[in-house]
Amino acid sequence: MTHLFKTAVPALFVSSLLSTTALPALAGGTLRLDEVAVGELDPGKASDYADTILMFNAYDTLVIPNQGKPGHQPHLATSWMIDGNTITLTLRDDVKFHSGNVMTADDVVFSIDRMKTLGQGNSYLFAIVDKAEAVDPTTVKITLTEPYSPFIASLVRLPIVDKATVMANIVPGDTEMGDWGQAYLSANDAGSGAYMVTSHNPQAETVLTKNPDYFFGVPDGAPNEVRLVYGLEPATVRTLMATGEHDISSQWLPPEVMSALAGEGAQFFSESGTGAFYIKLNTQKPPLDDVNCRLALASAFDYATALAITQITDGVAGGRPATGAIPLGMFGSNPPEEAMVRDMDAAKAHLAECKYNPADYALELSWVAEVAIEERFALLMQSNFAELGFNTEIVKVPWVLFTERVATPESTPHVSQVFVNAATGDPDTLLYPMYHSSAAGTWQSPEYLNDPEVDALLTQGRTAVTPEDREAAYAALNDRLMALAPTIFGFDRNSVFAASQRVTAPALTDPAQAFGLDTMGFTFRLMTVAE
Amino acid sequence: MKRMTTILLANPLSLLGVLLVGLVVLLAVFAPLIAPFPDHRGAVVDFANFNKPPGWPHLMGTDVVGRDLFSRILYAYRISLILGVVVLAIAVPIGVTLGLMAGYLGGWWEYGLMRLTDVFLSIPPLVLAISIMGVLEPTLMNGMLAVTVMWWPWYTRLVYNITRGEKVEGYVLAAEVIGASKTHIMFREILPNCVPAVVTKMTLDLGFVILIVSSLSFLGLGVQPPTPDLGSMVAEGAKYLPDSWWLSVFPGLAILIAVFGFNLIGDGLRDILGADR
Repeated sequence: MTHLFKTAVPALFVSSLLSTTALPALAGGTLRLDEVAVGELDPGKASDYADTILMFNAYDTLVIPNQGKPGHQPHLATSWMIDGNTITLTLRDDVKFHSGNVMTADDVVFSIDRMKTLGQGNSYLFAIVDKAEAVDPTTVKITLTEPYSPFIASLVRLPIVDKATVMANIVPGDTEMGDWGQAYLSANDAGSGAYMVTSHNPQAETVLTKNPDYFFGVPDGAPNEVRLVYGLEPATVRTLMATGEHDISSQWLPPEVMSALAGEGAQFFSESGTGAFYIKLNTQKPPLDDVNCRLALASAFDYATALAITQITDGVAGGRPATGAIPLGMFGSNPPEEAMVRDMDAAKAHLAECKYNPADYALELSWVAEVAIEERFALLMQSNFAELGFNTEIVKVPWVLFTERVATPESTPHVSQVFVNAATGDPDTLLYPMYHSSAAGTWQSPEYLNDPEVDALLTQGRTAVTPEDREAAYAALNDRLMALAPTIFGFDRNSVFAASQRVTAPALTDPAQAFGLDTMGFTFRLMTVAE
Repeated sequence: MKRMTTILLANPLSLLGVLLVGLVVLLAVFAPLIAPFPDHRGAVVDFANFNKPPGWPHLMGTDVVGRDLFSRILYAYRISLILGVVVLAIAVPIGVTLGLMAGYLGGWWEYGLMRLTDVFLSIPPLVLAISIMGVLEPTLMNGMLAVTVMWWPWYTRLVYNITRGEKVEGYVLAAEVIGASKTHIMFREILPNCVPAVVTKMTLDLGFVILIVSSLSFLGLGVQPPTPDLGSMVAEGAKYLPDSWWLSVFPGLAILIAVFGFNLIGDGLRDILGADR
């Protein structure tokens, strides 16, 4: 019978729930939330949600977006002046880093240089910076290589790093600056933000505590401590929230789980308007290197059902109908009545023009393992594309592996599913990293699109000065992208998070206080947590 | 054989095992006739009926894309059983032959084969299978290959031990004296004495193989969607616990029933055949 138990027990294990590692209940004033691993703490490398949450709270930027309206407001910078390709910013003189060092123009110059040198995360936003100079301790002059109208918006992605602290912790290397403090900053913070990192494990958890000396002040009701946990299973989040041991879920919970949590009294937070769900087609791999095959897939995709899948409750869904490549409300977006719809006749007509026989290829449909709902989109595609005669193979890829696989067109799956947001809220930062030929091979650009006209329109969009000219450039770009179909434009994004009633976050619930910049709503100093 | 069956059925636990395994085999064999939605084994989505709790016409509810869970479990049983049988059909002859050779021929044969066996046995089976599947594409064929590679050494070790005992018995010596060939002695004289132990182990192992294949699928390394597999159904369903419990509980119970049934039969056979000596 021992034998029997040896097999019966593991069998029960496989069949039982995933282990729900219960976190100890903590005292009031602690905010607990979760995101997909890994949490990159180095602000020069931040690009994902977890990284950005950490960046916005441990570091400050020169400007921040206005709440409830377009434009930007002063933050570390008190004012700025734009003169052609030169931007001159005046800085506050009362800002102290967590180390106690006072922030000066040198720190800003260092932060720009560091970001450009590392070339990771959102550094592409600063590739156009020719040089940054400290005119005096509170004045920085930034010169661009070419006109770039949304540059002020890009500054929301420039976290200012404490130069002295980084310099004291540089690991020697080939260059004078050694590793630019990468080893230190991936484990410690050197910012001035409202929260200080007290412990950090990129795979497990980051703990932040309130910075009592924050230059802006932090309201008493804001969380004293924040625990950002990585890689929790949906069932674990569900259980922890039901027992009051978790406060805000990630947006990656399946709609059913969100809806069940709402049924038990959870509220919803949301952010929208800056991104979309994109189904990216590898334009370098047969049969998808033929535009007609891509157009066939785009016409065969069942947009209405995809949207229905995101429905959480009657009034809340994870998306809104897409009208093209650009989310509704941004420069160049198509009007709401031009929502994408399934058209099998058009799909068959396009397929007839495609030089490949769909039966000869097995399309690899990938979905990101941490985002449960993507499996459903994969199955929906499998069913939709089967109607055109395409063989498909569904592949579950963990996020970390996905970001590695997209590095070359050969290893990039035929079809990838990605939620993308404009890094700065401006369409340039949504579309340039996805479609410019120089930006191919990141998680944002598994299409490997290489189209001179798209490149030219992207450049036009970022150099045009007046809103009308930018609108015209992006509208033309939208049309061109629709004709090339490098992507199936699934739906416009509405990121929904389930939250316990003990948390209030006006930037995530009240449109008049929303930032118009994804993840900025997770500025913890603007939240309150009941005891 | 008749006596064996009588004894087996007289033991209530073994009888339960026979009933459970019989049920599983029947469900698997007649899946196309029994399954209310046979096309749900493939790339079908029915978002109008997704995530429905057990009821009519979906006895075990539907999954997150609206496929009938009961139908998918029936087809998953087919795959599990086929995998189990194929893996053992490959692993057992290899393992038994190598065990006979190592045990009877001795010398360098014994040394070489048994050390090779030790190498395989020293690696935890699931870890070995995961490593193999990590290198190869996760397909059904490779899944079978991975599980087979980890399975044969257990039979080599078992048969080797029995052969070592049998080779000094009078009947083996007698066969040698009358000039019987080594092949004859191994396969005609010694092998029949290994059969009870091997059959018992095979019955127990069928359950184990189903479990290992499910574990591989649970980790995303086994059978790939849309092909139904019990392990991956549990893995995907676990995300929706505790609300959509049917998504993982029914496939989990299905694994339990099959493994439990084969183990009860195996235990019963061991008692009858005295294979636990």
